[in-house]
Amino acid sequence: MSIMEYNGGSVVAMVGKDCVAIASDLRLGNQALGISSNFQKIFPVTDRIFLGLPGLATDVTTLRETFRFRVNMYTIKEEREIEPETFAHLVSSTLYEPTGGFRPFIAATDLIGCLNFAKDFVVAGTASTKLYGTAEGLWEPDLDPEQLFETISQTMLNAVDRDAYSGWGVVVHVIEKDKVTTRTLKGRMD
Amino acid sequence: MNSLTNRFSTTGPLSELKRAQALVENEEFSDSAWGSEAGFGSLAKGVPNFTVPSVPDPSAFLRLHTDDHADPNCRIKIQHGTTTLAFRFQGGVIVAVDSRATAGSYVASGTVKKVIEINPYLLGTMAGGAADCQYWETYLGIHCRLHELRNHERISVSAASKYLSNLVYSYKGMGLSMGTMICGWDKTGPAVFYVDSDGTRLKGDLFSVGSGSTFAYGVLDQGYRWDLTDEEAQELGRRSIYCCRTPRCLLWLTLEDGWKFIGNYDISKLHYDGPGETPGAGYGYDVRIERSTAAPVAVQA
Amino acid sequence: METSFAITGKGYVLVASDTTAARSIVKMKTDEDKIKVISPHLLMAYSGEPGDTIQFAEYVERNLRLFHIRNNYALRPSAAASWIRRSLAQSLRSRKPYSVNLMLGGFDVTTDTPHLYWVDYLGTMTEVPFGAHGYGAYFGLSLLDRYHNPEATLEEGIETLKRCINEVSKRLVVSPEKYKVKVVDKDGTREIEL
Repeated sequence: MSIMEYNGGSVVAMVGKDCVAIASDLRLGNQALGISSNFQKIFPVTDRIFLGLPGLATDVTTLRETFRFRVNMYTIKEEREIEPETFAHLVSSTLYEPTGGFRPFIAATDLIGCLNFAKDFVVAGTASTKLYGTAEGLWEPDLDPEQLFETISQTMLNAVDRDAYSGWGVVVHVIEKDKVTTRTLKGRMD
Repeated sequence: MNSLTNRFSTTGPLSELKRAQALVENEEFSDSAWGSEAGFGSLAKGVPNFTVPSVPDPSAFLRLHTDDHADPNCRIKIQHGTTTLAFRFQGGVIVAVDSRATAGSYVASGTVKKVIEINPYLLGTMAGGAADCQYWETYLGIHCRLHELRNHERISVSAASKYLSNLVYSYKGMGLSMGTMICGWDKTGPAVFYVDSDGTRLKGDLFSVGSGSTFAYGVLDQGYRWDLTDEEAQELGRRSIYCCRTPRCLLWLTLEDGWKFIGNYDISKLHYDGPGETPGAGYGYDVRIERSTAAPVAVQA
Repeated sequence: METSFAITGKGYVLVASDTTAARSIVKMKTDEDKIKVISPHLLMAYSGEPGDTIQFAEYVERNLRLFHIRNNYALRPSAAASWIRRSLAQSLRSRKPYSVNLMLGGFDVTTDTPHLYWVDYLGTMTEVPFGAHGYGAYFGLSLLDRYHNPEATLEEGIETLKRCINEVSKRLVVSPEKYKVKVVDKDGTREIEL
């Protein structure tokens, strides 16, 4: 079993018209044993950058702390907020996972830090193969924020239903130019 | 397998079947007397034969192709993540099972039926190898019917489970994998027997089988009493399956005149709304806490 | 087999741990206290690799004590938990990692709230209303999902804890016979006889 499967969890991010959305499940497991149904895997980095980190939960927490530290140091040094693209490179150089930011921008890295700047959507986690399927079928270009919310929610909900290690509720952030909307979805609890 | 022993032995399931066939043929029963042959038509006519891989160690061969822990790409994947339970109480036997079939982390199906209705008054649950359970419990059904024809009375749950346990014991070490509960109602009242492929057979009031059984026991033991009402017993069955987080819960109740199917419950609905039509009366921890903080009236037993 | 449970209630956290110290199939000791009071309002139940457990628990205890002496105030439960988690996470990628699982129960006197953290040897940490480690988790978690109430009084909390312990003794093949139970609330920590 790979370390990606130990705690389970999945993240997907999608581009819309003047908006992006990022969603993750909320399960923390010890393989098949569920420990918590409220484990956040998406973290706000700045007001318009969100970072999704599925994977081994200990590393998720450690990296989240590392990024918070590095971004704070960057902000103090440069006296400005970090750009999403810069942050993606920061993530990449710190060798880890996917991000969603603004100026319709999403990017993913694999777990050794290889960057993937996508124009449509990126996925990661134990349900990633299923997410590719549902996202490929549901996503289309130029979705407005509400449509994008619906699309990413359906993508996530249906993919995690087919994954034994993801699920137990879904959280979705829709990021627009001037606001971020966060919603927790009633997912299947099995 | 040793076909010579098979052909000439006078004990064991195969020879018994042969004798039963002879009986059927001699007395010229029509096919309709059998009812449905349940897909065992060919078995009932020819000499039954269970093909074992022609290798020195069949169980090692089987393990090689079914152990998805060792090799996630193995060719045959055995059903995991099962929870089945059955318990006796004053009103009969409750049988409740989950519905999920997973192959590795992939949820292959959320609507599997893990109870085999052996006949109108016997139920068998499935855990372990789905094919093994399905095949041998259906086979058991044939023999229960033959028993009825021969003796003009219904087979007891004890005898039926003993038949199955002897049968699987004869295949011990060849890789059968099943953990089952045979439930029903006979002259002695409601009865539950646990039978597994090791050859273990246990009589008891309350059993749970499968990888989720520990979770089910946690809820089941705490809520179980002999004098449970029908409604309470059904609720206990549903709650015990609920805690194993499967997509659906299937429930049966066995009474004196045979079993009846109670319902097929969506676990997510049970989580949020409970079995009834009242929204917010769900089993879920968050739902329950929200309810008790909103209106601190009903503290459930 | 080692088992520990912890549950939150109205203004308190109850932490229970079995008292056996086993080596191979032998019980070496049956009255070992595996819940450490690591600061005035913080309890830590530890289990895992013998040796590692005590070493790590004492390391934590002394560092938190050092912080207290230097700064004249104790770390709040969330801060202490984060520090402990990070120690485990760093140890995981070292030459010889600590194999220790923890339940951290604390009472935050600044906000008057109880907190419970589930931490495993990898450094996975999550705040939970109830938690368990060891084989007992397989029986206790479903039971607590059904019976736990975060608004329960101490007496009700103890009843729920007894349910868990009874269930484990009923079903687990190698169940521990004795448990030590400690509680942390606004008045600090104390031991409870079941």
